[in-house]
Amino acid sequence: MTFPFWMLIVVLAVAAFTVRVLGLFAGDAIKSSRLAWMLDDLPGLIVVSLVASSLAGQSIETWIAAAAALAVAYVTNHVILTMCIGVVAYGGLVWFGF
Amino acid sequence: MKHGAIAILPLAAGAAVYGFAFGLLAAQVGFPWWGVALMSSIVHAGSSQIVAVEQFAGTSAVVGAAFAGAALNLRYIGIVASLSDILSGLSLRMKLLAIHITGDENWALTMAERAKNPAVGASFLIGSGLVMISVWTVSTTLGAVAGSTLPNLEQFGLGFAFTAAFIAMARGLWRGPANLVPWIISFAVTIGVVTLGAPKAYAIVAGAICGLAVSHLVRSKKKVVL
Repeated sequence: MTFPFWMLIVVLAVAAFTVRVLGLFAGDAIKSSRLAWMLDDLPGLIVVSLVASSLAGQSIETWIAAAAALAVAYVTNHVILTMCIGVVAYGGLVWFGF
Repeated sequence: MKHGAIAILPLAAGAAVYGFAFGLLAAQVGFPWWGVALMSSIVHAGSSQIVAVEQFAGTSAVVGAAFAGAALNLRYIGIVASLSDILSGLSLRMKLLAIHITGDENWALTMAERAKNPAVGASFLIGSGLVMISVWTVSTTLGAVAGSTLPNLEQFGLGFAFTAAFIAMARGLWRGPANLVPWIISFAVTIGVVTLGAPKAYAIVAGAICGLAVSHLVRSKKKVVL
């Protein structure tokens, strides 16, 4: 495992634990501050940006499969089911050369 | 503690499937099985790990990948803060252990059970958390072992599995129509920045910041109207 892999694990571990410790010692103060809304909004915005970055410049098959996954996610709100149906939709579209 | 450990088992089974899929992805990116085991045990944040590794796969940029993963974890400030009553009688060492093994599933289960029975407390949280971190670490490691022996799974749609996972995560984070405009802006800005040729990590930051700015405007406008 090279240095960047080690760095990612260590940085992510430090960040994850720091956030939890922050919640333990300053959670109530942060939740009642003027910036509390950012805690609510930022995770969703990051995830939406991740979806967008995954789809940017991709084929029409990928976009259609993403629409199918979105429909499943909307109806079921179930991560594993959405992943399974998304992959089947993507595989089917690519396999049949949509 | 035993009560929590048993009660969490159905949720742990779901996390195991998700963890196995993450292990496959991490192995395909180049993480050895023991690296995945190390990450799962000391990070213990499923969606953050998936996001970080997926970003790392595309760019090998540690800072961008860690930023994306860490930002997704900000919800734990609120989650841990909500545990203050439950953790109040514990030593500092036990508190630090408890917050490390707290994940979405065992937190939600502990809060739900406590609402029904106020006697449910730290031992339930710790028992369910120990099961969750164990299942997560073992399932991701097994996924990595399997992934290292398989050919390139990208051609079978593994990469898209995580786009689908992000879509499902977004659904889980949807809080109603107030999210719509900020999310559309965030999505459009990210697509635009990637299309202009910028690295994805920067595009994600730009999209999130623009979404935050719009969200702030929407909230300010609501206050004025009220």
